[in-house]
Amino acid sequence: MARRLTRFLSKYALLATLAISYLFLYLPIVHIGLGAFAKNHAFPYPPRWTLDTFGRLFANSLYQNAFANSLILGVGAGALSTLLAAAATLGLMRHAGRRTGLYLVLFVAPLFVAEVLLGIASLIFNGLFLELQGNLVSAILANAVHCFSYALLIMATQLYRYDWRLDDAAMVFGASPTRTFFEVTLPLIWPGLLGAFIVTFIMAFNNLEISFYLLGATPTLPSVAWGALRYGVKPELYALATAVNLVVVVGLAVMFVLMLTGKVAFGHRPERERAV
Amino acid sequence: MYITLDGVSRQYGDIWAVDRVNMGIGQSEFVSLLGPSGSGKTTLLRIIAGLEKPTTGRVLIDGVDVTDLPPHRRGVAMVFQEFLLFPHRTVYENLAFPLRMLKLPKAEIEERVAWVVGILSLAGLEKRYPNQLSGGQQQRVALGRGLVGRPKALLLDEPLANLDRELRQEMEVEIRRHQIALGIPFIYVTHNQEEALSMSDRIAVVRRGRIEDFAPRTQIYDTPRTAFIAQFVGRSNRFEGTLDGAGMLASDCGARLAVPAAGLAAGSRAMLFVKNEKLRLDPAGATPAGANSLACTVKDVILRGAYADYILAFGNRELNASRPRSERAFLAGEAVTASFDAADMDLFDADGERPS
Repeated sequence: MARRLTRFLSKYALLATLAISYLFLYLPIVHIGLGAFAKNHAFPYPPRWTLDTFGRLFANSLYQNAFANSLILGVGAGALSTLLAAAATLGLMRHAGRRTGLYLVLFVAPLFVAEVLLGIASLIFNGLFLELQGNLVSAILANAVHCFSYALLIMATQLYRYDWRLDDAAMVFGASPTRTFFEVTLPLIWPGLLGAFIVTFIMAFNNLEISFYLLGATPTLPSVAWGALRYGVKPELYALATAVNLVVVVGLAVMFVLMLTGKVAFGHRPERERAV
Repeated sequence: MYITLDGVSRQYGDIWAVDRVNMGIGQSEFVSLLGPSGSGKTTLLRIIAGLEKPTTGRVLIDGVDVTDLPPHRRGVAMVFQEFLLFPHRTVYENLAFPLRMLKLPKAEIEERVAWVVGILSLAGLEKRYPNQLSGGQQQRVALGRGLVGRPKALLLDEPLANLDRELRQEMEVEIRRHQIALGIPFIYVTHNQEEALSMSDRIAVVRRGRIEDFAPRTQIYDTPRTAFIAQFVGRSNRFEGTLDGAGMLASDCGARLAVPAAGLAAGSRAMLFVKNEKLRLDPAGATPAGANSLACTVKDVILRGAYADYILAFGNRELNASRPRSERAFLAGEAVTASFDAADMDLFDADGERPS
């Protein structure tokens, strides 16, 4: 009897903890979401539904501009850092030998530099030595520095499981190194590349601290939001936050479904693992 | 020779993994590289494939110096121990891979894959992925991928090591059959002497990066050139001792054995090997069949089916004998006489070389 009671209690205590954790994580987001769709956005309980804020948001050319810039920044920095990190990871795994640890530490060291400092330093460096004005190119470069380390770590965990002897096999059967990469290596490691790209895209897209210093007058979504705060929290900001969240959630949901249906598998399964 | 290795060496740090190897392999020869793990046999195979570069020396295939050619331009194929099928490709695509790299027309690719599917009985598996195949099926696909491109040579790196015993024996026969049918050299790396003996024309015994001997398989087994080969190939009893002037060896274990007349000086150290199946057994008291006889007690009998392995106590050491069960069965505890002739033993000097 006592044992059944304990089991009953522990089961519901666990469920309650789970519920509280999710509430803690999602209440702020839900609050903003409700605010975005409500006329009484400051305290939307119960909400009086409206879509006006979204109308105003999408009609505002500043936000449109900022969205386009953020997109360019995210794609540019994501692609650049993913490419560089892929090259770095391949080099680390195949050719670094005994100094792998040293190279790895040097590659991830930018993670430990505060983003604000990285922004200021990049501004000065890009301006003085590369003679780049504060613009999107300069911001993409600076963001890529930071994103590179994340991309490297994400890819390294994926590529660690790749069996490089498959490359040997491809070459013995007549594939040149380039052909080997596109026929065998890439098809097996692209989930790692995609994962790194998605994460770095989101990081650059949402970045304020680094971009802030390098963009000059070019608006991005985070910088516009930051600027708008000076005039109080406007309903457009609720709508903006919700729109960004929706994009991210839809992206993750698509990926989840793809993985669930087996269209995409992360990492290379050793081939004999499931042999009968 | 169709494939020639000319003074091939490979250095890793301070270690010579392959050390001054010279070999000539004929156009339709089945050659095994037999050696313990870490002896450098796989490195040697990878050098022939082009996956490793020799530190010094040359590799010639079909008269062409390929030492500086990358693997994809050598025209050889390989079967790996781990199979290494492309996991994202179906069986058909795996088999077609070498042909696509040769840029053959589609019709010919289909024809050749069909041929290899036929000879390896892979029909019905073409659309499966490697992880949907059993170990034996994966092995066949790996072999098929090696044969389909009609390579100049097929290199096999312990391809049967991951298969169970029965399947292995089946595949041994099959691999040998394909080699004869195709008439190309197969170079087969293994640490398993049974595989090497059952398939090869010639066996190269590899030890510490060097070729200890490269000879026809019967010669490797029947008249090993060094003590290492005698120890490594087949199962033997080893005696060490000092030679006296009368052509007798006083062994450290207390036996006096008549040895074949050999160019070893009296008083020098020598070792000799007697293969387990050459040790004949008779009940104690009966006239022993061989010239050298040792009085032993049967300690243990291990039943192998057609024959039995006997572990014998001789003084304070053990001897091993392997006899057909049709001959006579002995029981544990029985007193027996183990005997052998001088012709049954392989004598080596203290350095392990056969005296000339």
